[in-house]
Amino acid sequence: MADIQFNHVGVKYPNGFVGLSDVTLDIPAGSMVGVVGLSGAGKSTLIRSINGLVPISSGELNVGDHRLSNARGRELRQLRSEVGMIFQSFNLARRTTVLNNVLMGRLHHTSAWRSLLGAWQHDDVELAMSALERVEIVSKAYEKASSLSGGQQQRVAIARTLAQQPQIVLADEPVASLDPPTSHVVMRDLQRINADLGITVIVNLHFLDLARTYCTRLIGMREGRVVFDGAGADADERVFESIYGRSLTAADVLEAKAEL
Amino acid sequence: MTAIGALGAVTANVRPVKPRQRGKVVATLLVLAAITVWAGLGVQIDLPEIVANFSNAVGNVVQLTQPDYGFFPKTIPALVETVDMAVIATVIGSAISLPIAFFASRATNPNTWLLMGLRFVMNLIRSIPDILLAAILVAVVGVGALPGIMALVIFNIGIIVKLVSEALDGEDTGPHEAALAAGASWLKAGRSAMLPQILPAYASQVLYTFEINIRASTVIGLVGAGGLGILIDNVRSFFRYHELSLIILEILLLVVLLESFSAWLRKRLI
Amino acid sequence: MAGTLTDTSSAPSLTNRPDKPVSWPSRLLWLLVTGIALAAYFSAKLDISALADFPAQAWKYLLLMFAPPNWGKLGEAFTAMVLSVQMAWIGTLLGIAVSFPLSFFAAAPLAPRWISWPLRGVFAVLRAVPEVVTAILILSVTGLTPFTGALALAVGSIGNLGKWGYETFEAVDRGPLEAVRSTGSGAVGLMRWGIWPSASAELLSLWLYRFEINVRASAILGLIGAGGIGKMLSDNVQFRNWDAVGMLLLVVIVVTMIIDQLSGAVRHRLIHGRWAVPFSTARRRPRSSKLPVEVPA
Repeated sequence: MADIQFNHVGVKYPNGFVGLSDVTLDIPAGSMVGVVGLSGAGKSTLIRSINGLVPISSGELNVGDHRLSNARGRELRQLRSEVGMIFQSFNLARRTTVLNNVLMGRLHHTSAWRSLLGAWQHDDVELAMSALERVEIVSKAYEKASSLSGGQQQRVAIARTLAQQPQIVLADEPVASLDPPTSHVVMRDLQRINADLGITVIVNLHFLDLARTYCTRLIGMREGRVVFDGAGADADERVFESIYGRSLTAADVLEAKAEL
Repeated sequence: MTAIGALGAVTANVRPVKPRQRGKVVATLLVLAAITVWAGLGVQIDLPEIVANFSNAVGNVVQLTQPDYGFFPKTIPALVETVDMAVIATVIGSAISLPIAFFASRATNPNTWLLMGLRFVMNLIRSIPDILLAAILVAVVGVGALPGIMALVIFNIGIIVKLVSEALDGEDTGPHEAALAAGASWLKAGRSAMLPQILPAYASQVLYTFEINIRASTVIGLVGAGGLGILIDNVRSFFRYHELSLIILEILLLVVLLESFSAWLRKRLI
Repeated sequence: MAGTLTDTSSAPSLTNRPDKPVSWPSRLLWLLVTGIALAAYFSAKLDISALADFPAQAWKYLLLMFAPPNWGKLGEAFTAMVLSVQMAWIGTLLGIAVSFPLSFFAAAPLAPRWISWPLRGVFAVLRAVPEVVTAILILSVTGLTPFTGALALAVGSIGNLGKWGYETFEAVDRGPLEAVRSTGSGAVGLMRWGIWPSASAELLSLWLYRFEINVRASAILGLIGAGGIGKMLSDNVQFRNWDAVGMLLLVVIVVTMIIDQLSGAVRHRLIHGRWAVPFSTARRRPRSSKLPVEVPA
């Protein structure tokens, strides 16, 4: 199965900014992991290094049978097809249908001429439809993505990753653009994916309480380093200070913010 | 406290010296005037000669105001050929341009060298006026609609690729990134995630190109490349101004009609 | 908030698979477009067989033209191109001189309708006629000289410049206009201080753009006898001096590209207030990328 192993991984951007330094982690298949920290702490870099959107500059990163440092071209695309990704801004092609957006998860398995003509295979359409059913939005299949609300768009994005039949799902701040009730719906969707399908889910979150509620394991990051790694229940006030460099305030908790 | 207040008041009350912009403005105007004098000498502005010519030309003007409608049946084939050329060139030109545009945009082509090379070639194509191109192509493939269409197609590729690749550059690359993250190649990601986003811009560009082609195809025949232009050349060399004015009337109507058709289509598509 | 709650929790209505919708208007439109294209193709009766050996022919002629071009003609070609550019300059200036005042009278907030609407009609008609046709008309009256070529370009530019002019004036913010009017200013003051400060950058840049268009158009005018690069080209094509044609094309391309880049740089300066490096394709970060660029505070 697709275990993820970080072995002294470092990431340095072309502009000199250090995204990750000396990160060593072992994420077994089937985990539900929340990554918390300030913006710029390396959460995004951590997640994007797993599917090679950000290349690592030192150390060793293994995802299943793939080694990231030498995965290129075809092999990298193979790896990416096994890893689904969900973005803060949904990243849907807004001018095409919901179904076409979900089918983009099948591009790796679609021949060039079929993707050119938009002639999707029947099996893939079936897969996309059932993915839409799983996130309970299938009736919108032929509507333009732009006509959907933010929460619905994020569920379409989740369906897109499900259509990949991934072993791992990465979620980069999936609820940062959503209101609190919708945030919970999306987080529950992710939790169900993890529980029902056994897919590893790694999710970046700004709000500590969301991470504690939905994730079994918490990783705290600060300045590109892992400063906490353990069960959500162990993340007390002291741990929080080590992650955020200050004590807990209302702004760090979703529920408190919702009441404001 | 008072000191600061006084200081503030003092500086606020000092009349500033007028910024010295005048030098720059005068220099710019001088350069422009120099260019104009130089250009004027070059084109030999000679009003008396025009006046002399004009008195000779009164007859021409009179003829031009009286179109010879009896000539109309003879212009029909050329009229049809003009429209044919514009339509065919638009279809072929826009079909060829679409994939090239994806290679000419930073958003969908990671290869900097290919990108720069393509953009340079497109700049180059756009700098050659279409009729000049047609004049050469007529010599290569012979008189007729074919060289006209080819010249228009080449010119169309130059403009559509530029405008569509700029539309791609300005497009949000998020969906593209999502498709890449799902294991798609750059090409497939471009086709699936970016194409739907720029389709309205593309359609509008195609129609704009069609409008350009209508104008161009009416005159491109002046160098032998088919359409009304060939007729213009004929009647002009025989000083048949009654017929010339009919042709010009036809061009005017054709351009206005097809442009309103294009405007109607644009409204339907976008 | 309640809306979001209901539309995410009302599962039953969202779980029925819809049928693939069929859009008849768009199908008809595609049918129409395809029909027109096919009709055009078959009525044009093109001799496609000529295309079969076109690549070979094109290569042959490219070699004839550019391997090598006739460098002996460089001076002559450059002089001819310079004349074309001079025609374009004078033509653009004359066009501006006529269209600029007229476009004030065609702008809705400045002139009464009985004068602005007919003027717009005139601009529209002038725009509909291709420059070359305007040129032929004018040249048939004035005779063929470079100056009459410039005149033809001027007339051809008026329609275009006039339209851009009144559109720019109408897009001007009404606030300053009102302010100047409230001081009791007359028409000239209104134009100079109510409109010109807000419209000048845009308008100057459009004038330059028209100059770029006229450079191309003046090359074409030569083909019908107005002198300049076009005349030299038609002469050389006629006598099949291909190496001279190659030289001419090189000069046209290089001079046009230089003028485009210079004019583009000035236009960029006018609109954005700073110079852009010519030929630059500045690297643009993808907008959606959330990669950290600065160290957090």
